[in-house]
Amino acid sequence: MRVVLAEDLHILRDGLVLLLESHGFTIAEAVGDGPALRAALARHRPDVAIVDVRLPPTFTDEGLQAALAARRDVPGLPVLVLSQHVEQLYARELLADGAGAVGYLLKDRVLNADQFIDAVRRVASGGTAMDPEVIAKLLTAGGTASPLARLTPRERDVLELMAQGRSNAAISQRLFLSESAVGKHTASIFDKLRLPPSSDDNRRVLAVLTYLNNT
Amino acid sequence: MTRFALAIPRCVALVALSVAGFAYGHVLVVAATLVVTYPLAVSGQYRLTALARRLARAWAGAVLPDPVRSLPPTPHRREDGWYAHDDTVFRSPRVPAFLLKLDHYAKDPTVGREWLWLILTPVIGAVPILVPPALIAAGVFLLASPPWPLAWSVPAAGGAVVAAFLLAPGALRAYGLWAGVLLGTGEPPQTAVSRWVTRTSAATWRGAGLAGLTLAGFGGLLLNLLAAALSWGGLLPYTLPVTRSLVELYRRHVGRWTGTDLPAPYRPYPPAPSPGKDGSYRVGRVLYTDLPAAVQGQRPGWLLGDPATWRDQLWSLGSVALAPLSFVPAVLVGLGFYGLFCQPLTWVGWAVPIGLFTGYWVTPFYLWFGIEHIQPDASWLPGWASMTAGLAMALLGLGLASPLMRLRLWWDRLLLTPTAATVLASRVAHLATTRADAVDVQATELRRIERDLHDGAQARLIAVGLGLAAVARLMETDPVRARRVLEQAQETSAAALAELRDLVRGIHPPVLAERGLGDAIRAIALDTPLPVDVDVDLPGRLDAPVESAAYFVTCEALTNAARCASHISISLSHRDGVLRVVVTDDGPGGADPTRGTGLRGIQRRLATFDGTMTPHSPPGGPTVVTMEIPCASSSPRTSTS
Repeated sequence: MRVVLAEDLHILRDGLVLLLESHGFTIAEAVGDGPALRAALARHRPDVAIVDVRLPPTFTDEGLQAALAARRDVPGLPVLVLSQHVEQLYARELLADGAGAVGYLLKDRVLNADQFIDAVRRVASGGTAMDPEVIAKLLTAGGTASPLARLTPRERDVLELMAQGRSNAAISQRLFLSESAVGKHTASIFDKLRLPPSSDDNRRVLAVLTYLNNT
Repeated sequence: MTRFALAIPRCVALVALSVAGFAYGHVLVVAATLVVTYPLAVSGQYRLTALARRLARAWAGAVLPDPVRSLPPTPHRREDGWYAHDDTVFRSPRVPAFLLKLDHYAKDPTVGREWLWLILTPVIGAVPILVPPALIAAGVFLLASPPWPLAWSVPAAGGAVVAAFLLAPGALRAYGLWAGVLLGTGEPPQTAVSRWVTRTSAATWRGAGLAGLTLAGFGGLLLNLLAAALSWGGLLPYTLPVTRSLVELYRRHVGRWTGTDLPAPYRPYPPAPSPGKDGSYRVGRVLYTDLPAAVQGQRPGWLLGDPATWRDQLWSLGSVALAPLSFVPAVLVGLGFYGLFCQPLTWVGWAVPIGLFTGYWVTPFYLWFGIEHIQPDASWLPGWASMTAGLAMALLGLGLASPLMRLRLWWDRLLLTPTAATVLASRVAHLATTRADAVDVQATELRRIERDLHDGAQARLIAVGLGLAAVARLMETDPVRARRVLEQAQETSAAALAELRDLVRGIHPPVLAERGLGDAIRAIALDTPLPVDVDVDLPGRLDAPVESAAYFVTCEALTNAARCASHISISLSHRDGVLRVVVTDDGPGGADPTRGTGLRGIQRRLATFDGTMTPHSPPGGPTVVTMEIPCASSSPRTSTS
């Protein structure tokens, strides 16, 4: 699997290259600034791009803008965005095109290598990987009047993991539930939030995220 | 049939109402002159015009919605049990209640139009409805004492009565149309002439009002002179504040009436003296042993050493010469109005007798007086000379008003505004205060960051290091325990990262650096557990320090608002070199800016940038906090919206 990596701090970039290569990824190019990232994305058309939000030369949201621009050119180009902080604002912008294959994680998540690699693979295969911190903020924004308040605590846990982009199997492992119980919870969630039921992981997550986005 | 039959008594009733209204119009003038009785009189006027509207709707077919009238606000009881109005507190609620009522009625635009209606109706609106009753009266008169043979009188009387019945409904409709002109809610159409009259008449009365105030200022000057003469200047520190408050009153009225801002030029009260080595306080050539007395002792020097004090006196003296000039337009317009309206109206009363005896007919009193003394033979003057002369005088008065007002403002600006030196001095004082504040804020902030790093991330990194050292030792002997310690170290480093992230957010939020003010506010709005509308109209990035200050004061205002509101809206705009942030919430209102450290913190942060904050929070809400920072916008638009 070919990866384009953009990260301006050498130490982190080398660390990520090492980590990805040890898990069988091919690094097509590892760049350190915005213009180089744009060029690399156009040249390699990678299977997945891993991009830091803040890059030289402006040190603003250069990386995010380059990723969004590349996705406008190649719809559905898998992009995993890394950042020192997470903002709902950015998450909404990444999800806005509804094409899936996006990830948005705190850089801290790299520390847990297995989960990070899992997220990269999920994004590369067209799924989503949202940082738990973003999801938690999305879930609290509704207030007591929102339909979210009608969910049971267990259903909320399931919804949170589902919104991060996890499959029923992964959720059942995480929550120590049988897969059929998770299936029951998700059906109930879809019912309470009046969402069309779906078994496709990606469509399911997008439905949930669109719902959360609009509340 | 009944419509025609009822029309006549209705005409009579409306004529009676308009006569009563005319009388009440004069009562209102007297009540306004006495001031104290004015609110009572206006509430009577409300009742009278409500009746007039109801009758005009029911009888004359007029389309007249009742104006929406709110009750005057009631004074707000402060925590200390006193009542505040503007910047004065009162023990009893009666005086502020009265002042609030006066303000309320002065702001109600319908009051003036209704008064005009009361005064003008007998001469304009009541004329058509007077005709049918007059015809009936003429018919009755013809029958009661016929001047002609009965064969003529009876048909004439019958004709008059029939005409009265036929005309009455039309007359009522005409009255209804007239009622719509001044009692309706629509504003009268604005023409160039009406605007000129509005502007100049405002200048006329305000000029006279200001001249009256300058005379009070002159009274203060005389008091000062008397005090200086009687006590060799000893009483001056006590009489000078009288002039000062009178001049301040004048400044406020100039600002309110002409829109010309006359900033107060006075020096601030000097800071309290610091004690010398022997514990005494030196003020000038006097030593005080206790501090309150020393502070009081600074008073004469502060008052007498301020050039603005002496400029006030000079201004009072010059204003006396200006005052008679300022009264001229008001006198001319008053006399003109008299000649134009009152004289013709009252001609039956006494102008005719004067005319009969002198041959001058309808000449206004002042014209007649002039003719009598200068030109004895003036029988050639026609009757309409009064109205022409009245009109000419009124126009001359109105024409003079604006130039005279300009002359007055020139004089005021010359002596009542701060001199360049005073402006500089107060600017220096302001800068010194805000710089001290800024340094203070910065030092506190640095201390907080230092403490957070020291107790948080730094300590955690040490723990990680210790853990790793332990792992190195345990790796061979106890791999299970080594693994546990390693996991612990990983958790600690994650916690350190989270703490650092929060700290960074408090120093300078990353989203602000990446996206600028607009998106940073949008991001914080998304994180607020309430619906928050954000409306951004910014041309591009602002200077970084301004962005940072604006971000933190907006967050502070948002936090304040979120405490008691259920919906908040924030608008950001940049116009004419001023960044304006308006935070509106639907909370219960009644926020007091002097209470609570939140709003004071905002003020201190803004002051460093010469910014201002104006909260507006009437009881019952909504609360609107407006923050303004003068600044330029630098780079082109980078925001995504």
